[in-house]
Amino acid sequence: MVAASTEAASAVSPDDIMFLDGITKDYVTEAVTVHALRRVDITIKRGEFVAMVGQSGSGKSTMMNIIGCLDRPTEGRYLLDGIDVTHRSNDARAVVRNRLIGFVFQGFNLLPRTTALENVELPLVYRGVSAGERAKRALEALESVGLADRLHHTPNQLSGGQQQRVAIARALVTEPPLLLADEPTGNLDTRTSYEVLGLLQELNRKNKITIVLVTHEPDIAACASRVINMRDGRVRSDTYNEAPVDAHQALADLPPVEE
Amino acid sequence: MKGFFNAVRLALRAIARAKLRAALTVLGILIGVAAVVIVVALGTGTRDIITGKFATLGANIIFIFPQSTQSSGAKQGTQNRMTEADGEAIAKEALSISAVVPWNVAGGQVVFSDKNWPTQIMGTTRGYWDVRGFTFAKGQSWTESDEQLKSKVCVIGEAVHEALFGTQDAVGQYVRIGHYPYRIVGVLAKKGNSPFGEDQDDRLLMPIGSFRARVLPMPPGRVMTLMASASSELTADRAVQQITDILRQRHHMQGEEDSDFVVRNPLELRRSAEKLANGLTAFLIVVAAISLLVGGVGVMNIMLVSVTERTREIGIRMAIGATETDIMVQFLVEAVTLCMFGGLAGTVLGLGFIAAVNVVADLKMAVPVPAIIAAVGTSAVIGVLFGFLPARRAALMDPIDALRNE
Ligand SMILES: Nc1ncnc2c1ncn2[C@@H]1O[C@H](COP(=O)(O)OP(=O)(O)OP(=O)(O)O)[C@@H](O)[C@H]1O
Ligand SMILES: [Mg+2]
Repeated sequence: MVAASTEAASAVSPDDIMFLDGITKDYVTEAVTVHALRRVDITIKRGEFVAMVGQSGSGKSTMMNIIGCLDRPTEGRYLLDGIDVTHRSNDARAVVRNRLIGFVFQGFNLLPRTTALENVELPLVYRGVSAGERAKRALEALESVGLADRLHHTPNQLSGGQQQRVAIARALVTEPPLLLADEPTGNLDTRTSYEVLGLLQELNRKNKITIVLVTHEPDIAACASRVINMRDGRVRSDTYNEAPVDAHQALADLPPVEE
Repeated sequence: MKGFFNAVRLALRAIARAKLRAALTVLGILIGVAAVVIVVALGTGTRDIITGKFATLGANIIFIFPQSTQSSGAKQGTQNRMTEADGEAIAKEALSISAVVPWNVAGGQVVFSDKNWPTQIMGTTRGYWDVRGFTFAKGQSWTESDEQLKSKVCVIGEAVHEALFGTQDAVGQYVRIGHYPYRIVGVLAKKGNSPFGEDQDDRLLMPIGSFRARVLPMPPGRVMTLMASASSELTADRAVQQITDILRQRHHMQGEEDSDFVVRNPLELRRSAEKLANGLTAFLIVVAAISLLVGGVGVMNIMLVSVTERTREIGIRMAIGATETDIMVQFLVEAVTLCMFGGLAGTVLGLGFIAAVNVVADLKMAVPVPAIIAAVGTSAVIGVLFGFLPARRAALMDPIDALRNE
């Protein structure tokens, strides 16, 4: 731990929420070895809103899994919030996920037959927060995504956009410094996509949460302050967007829905 | 602790979601536990009945019978040589014996007015009541002087009283045996059958001297049976040895020579009967335990299915920060809860069965509390043992694979 931080000190500044150093991921299957990531170096500062784009199979999800401590790189070093998490135990990484990361998935990944409130409480359960405190914070999180009136609905009683907002509330409830979203709007229509994106932009601006978001849609990527373009497991381009599109504005500018 | 309660809540909910499946899953456990409870209750009940029956013989009683022998060149078997003096010697010399009484018996008719009753007529001494554990329902024993004077007095058993007097008071009345009238001084309290099936209430007793003089003539002092009381259950075996030693010496028996008497300790019989009952109980418990084991395998099976079905849920929980331990505990607690439900249901079933048998067969089987605790405890242990594999499988899942699972 000490050795890691002194070594990292030269390259990592406290401003960096994450630091990827020569990250490689090989999938060894019977027939072939897939090089999903090839020596990727990325540094992301606190408060950035990063969109990760690239064609299918370019390694975006693989990348997100490693960033999210769900998967380990074959090679390379990954510091999250100054901590080298690559070689930590599974349980330690579970704690890191619980404390530092909020996940939003394309498929929402809410627990079925479980109410919105309970879904949002879940990360707090694993943090050992008391039931009363849990309910209070889950309620606040659901209010902040505009679902105060859907507390006791189960996922199958909610629309896609609503489900994704529950998922966002769940990711937020622990107040993590980092929010990872793998194609969060992939299953949503344009309007709902902008709504969800607006929510994320707000969180990024107001709560200073760092967001890394994978998307296929250029319109969505345009809302980010930085766009990393992946190709064949490598970073092809990494550009900053001085004037990201405001999702709320974009939503307002959409042609009205025909009744 | 908090995490544990959460896990229990989760488990209850998961079980509630698939009630029928849960019920079918725990069937094996249920039957196993019910079997344990029933078998133990039956076993204990049987033992209590055996013990109770033997207790009616008298506390720690030992019987001494004469036995004819063919040894030491005698042409025919030796005659019965047992006497009241033998009994007195035993009472005096055997340290582990508290009392000895002589006892002779003959079948005979007892007549009262126009009624006639065949019964066992016995001659003994007043020590008999304590040795055999008889108490008086009415009246009392004859006196010492009755014994010395060979008076024509008697004590009757409850069955004789019933047969000859019905509801009438018998004390003070005279019954006739053979040519002689006997005054009834006491009526014995009801005792029921002995472990050997003999009706212990169908008897008439009188001083042994009176018996020898008028009922069944015998040489003076000669007895058919001696009944001795060991001072306690613990000293009964020692008492048997002491009696044997004393009598062999008094009867001048040499070395290997067969005794001309036998000493019977019903405790031994009781012990072997109990051993049989215990053995049977143990065997049935093993069968029940196998049922529990099979039930455990059933639980494991269903838990494995459940873990597979809930792979995605496990993935979500892991992504959100559940540690391997959290997942492990969740499924272990679920398995244990499931088994405990089976255990409790089995207990209820077993208790219901015991209650029903008690009513139908008019028994007083006790609720086997230790067995219930053991059985429910065992089902919890089975939950842990057979839940371990599925829980471990869940805990060791790769979060990405689990999340990708449809
Ligand atoms: N578990 C795995 N085993 C083998 N190969 C894998 C595995 N996961 C991913 N890959 C391969 O790694 C490469 C990168 O996959 P990844 O899922 O990261 O792509 P992606 O950029 O997210 O694509 P998409 O836009 O379609 O989601 C692909 O070639 C994929 O086939
Ligand atoms: Mg992907």
